[in-house]
Amino acid sequence: MKFLHNKRVLTLVILLVFSVLVAGCGQDTGSSGTESKDDGGQQAAAPSEKVLIWGRGGDSSGLDPANVTDGESAKVTINIYDGLVKYQRDSTEVAPALAVDWETSEDGKTWTFNLREGVKFHDGTDFDADDVVFNFERWMNEDHEYHIGGTFDYWGYMFGGYPGVVESVTAVDQYTVEFKLASPMATFIANVAMFPFGIASPEAVKEHGEDYFKNPVGTGPFKFVEWAPDDKVVLVKNENYWGEQAKLDQLIFRSIPDNATRLMELQSGTIDIMDGITPDDVATIKNDDNYQLTLRPSMNVGYLAMNTEKEPFDDPKVRKAVNMAINKKEIINAFFAGLAKTAKNPLPPSLWGYNDAIEEYKFDPAQAKSLLAEAGFPNGFKTTLWAMPVPRPYFPQPQKIGEAMQANLAEIGIEAEIVSHDWTTYLDKTEHGEHDMAMLGWTGDNGDPDNFLYVLLDKDNAVAPAGNIAFYKNDELHDLLIEAQQEMDQDVRADLYKQAQVIIHEDAPWVPMSHSTPPIASKKTVSGYVPHPTGVEPLDTVDIQ
Amino acid sequence: MDTQIAAKKSVNQQANQSRGIWADSFSRLLRQKSAIFGLIIVVTLICAALFAPYIAPYNPEKGILGDRLQAPSEGHWFGTDSQGRDILSRIIFGSRISIQIGIITVGISLVVGTFMGALSGYFGGVLDLLVMRFIDIMMAFPYILLAIAITAVLGPSLVNAMIAIGIVGIPIYARVVRGAVLSVKENEYVEAARAVGCSKSRIIWRHVLPNCIAPIIVQATLGIGTAILDSAGLSFLGLGARPPKSEWGLMLNQGKDSLQTAPWAVMFPGLAILLVVLGFNLLGDGLRDALDPKLKE
Repeated sequence: MKFLHNKRVLTLVILLVFSVLVAGCGQDTGSSGTESKDDGGQQAAAPSEKVLIWGRGGDSSGLDPANVTDGESAKVTINIYDGLVKYQRDSTEVAPALAVDWETSEDGKTWTFNLREGVKFHDGTDFDADDVVFNFERWMNEDHEYHIGGTFDYWGYMFGGYPGVVESVTAVDQYTVEFKLASPMATFIANVAMFPFGIASPEAVKEHGEDYFKNPVGTGPFKFVEWAPDDKVVLVKNENYWGEQAKLDQLIFRSIPDNATRLMELQSGTIDIMDGITPDDVATIKNDDNYQLTLRPSMNVGYLAMNTEKEPFDDPKVRKAVNMAINKKEIINAFFAGLAKTAKNPLPPSLWGYNDAIEEYKFDPAQAKSLLAEAGFPNGFKTTLWAMPVPRPYFPQPQKIGEAMQANLAEIGIEAEIVSHDWTTYLDKTEHGEHDMAMLGWTGDNGDPDNFLYVLLDKDNAVAPAGNIAFYKNDELHDLLIEAQQEMDQDVRADLYKQAQVIIHEDAPWVPMSHSTPPIASKKTVSGYVPHPTGVEPLDTVDIQ
Repeated sequence: MDTQIAAKKSVNQQANQSRGIWADSFSRLLRQKSAIFGLIIVVTLICAALFAPYIAPYNPEKGILGDRLQAPSEGHWFGTDSQGRDILSRIIFGSRISIQIGIITVGISLVVGTFMGALSGYFGGVLDLLVMRFIDIMMAFPYILLAIAITAVLGPSLVNAMIAIGIVGIPIYARVVRGAVLSVKENEYVEAARAVGCSKSRIIWRHVLPNCIAPIIVQATLGIGTAILDSAGLSFLGLGARPPKSEWGLMLNQGKDSLQTAPWAVMFPGLAILLVVLGFNLLGDGLRDALDPKLKE
């Protein structure tokens, strides 16, 4: 009887397992069926198809580049869109893209772009000067009918508000666009080359309205197919690309938040390339012949911003005390595997205008404690320390780095509770100043100091949704930064930025932590990948065997 | 004189045969090897918690970053974690949190569940129907999912995790107590109490509940183990204890990134959870057999 009973159970288990297997297979064919809808015959061509799967730490927050600020979004959109101009593959030198050439007037206030002819958007519509005008007006005019779906943060950061420095954009003829600026702007062309200013199909923007961020249509080397939130974004090759066609047939970005899991996926072959490697695992990759490690040139900064609008961080003494309490060197040795340098300025040292004369706040808990006492907190205080949930290039292990900072701060009596939210919420809440102290970082977009100092520390960007999450406001600094924006001579500008760094150092709104060279691991079969210092690069030259 | 002495002897003899229900149960408990094993674990846990500052070799929340992720050695028996903290010390101090979690969560479930179960079992009727359907609804949710939902609403912290686990534990106690009350309330002594005019609350609290205590004790002992496991689960998911607390689930979470390079950072906290849950389960099972010898037959 007992035997019979067990046998029945066994049969049941086998049946169950079998039915799960069958269901699993069924689902598989189902999903590939829907994909093939967009691209007939794709399934038939499957065996020879070149598919690259990129594993990353977080999902994109949106695919309308003008409405995102995070690298995980940019990494995808740069493959879908072209701007008027773009950067060279390995530097921030500007190169032609949708504009074949451009010129500027004597006074630096008028810019004329000659556009490429015969370019088509992914939805089949033709690209011309009116589309450029539509896009720029959508970004810069807050009363534009399609200034929706977000807050167009980057336009404000880069061009000084809405409409900011740009007075007008006009189509001179079908393939010529003219920009009139209110004042000369040294960084204008470099800014236009940034990923947020990819030209979108006006038809698609009009059709999808608020939902455009889920239905991106550009002119880039890859076309958008599908976005499964928190799972993957699927792109396919744009067969009608105006430039050289992409080598890959399909490009998939998968979100795998956990560093260790992502590495295991690479090792088991379910992804081909990944960023956000836990520094402790770098050696594992280096010692394995099946993988290669690529280092991205450093143009970033990881920092701890103190909300200067909130007590007690409105007191510079407290901010300096925090600067002295945190043992950067030890943290970097522990959590970056030697792939980073300690920071003393908001600017990375590779950038022109870096002020090396600034003397770093030395790690000195005793002095930090006496500064706190001077500020009226001899016994410290309680506060919150926000640490992002996902690994970022500038903070590969944010939770652990946060915990180490927490321990450092405890030494001088500051009891900081670690707060964390999912990535999109984290960005949103810090932009609105809900934090006391928050970890964040920045990867330069255009190789100009303005992109760091103005975006992250100017009072113009200290209004929610803020790029300046320290909400630090200093008029003297503001004047310097604006002057530097309008100055065309790079040596003069460098000098202005050096002065700016002195002011920032004195007011200490941040603890500048690190400048990292983020590692990217890929299978040996992946070739043609060139990491860009800005942290985002089109993957059209990448190939896989 | 002689007869008096004889009488005393016979009383003593009786006492030798049965020393009361608790002593009897305890001796029955000691006859089970697995229960003793469970008891040893639980007692060790309690000792570790009580004497943590004297036993632990290092400060559990202060690490030396230069010593991070060291393999187990003479200096650090269980190795060090990613912040350079001694894992053994963290596990020892973690036992305090575990006991706290066990007592508080089971306390919440026990008090509320007993109250609901006793009322519903004693009064029956519509009240019983309402309470039991409510309990059914609660039980329809997967246990840990409901706890996650509650902590998501309350915000992540150890206290909130305890509240959440306490709440999701209520139905079991309510059911156990209700069943016990139903079987006890028809006994003659309850009828007698009613006959001499005892108030309803006196009958429930003085006559019915004390006689339902055995299943409650068993359930509570088993429940502590489950509660520790669940709160470790919540902390692992980032919904429970916040760093730098030495909570075992949190330690698992922090160690998982270095699973390949430093397996000890997850192995030892994992073992600690395993042992303690096992200990409470074995003890609970043993108590069940000891308190109700008829059940075993």
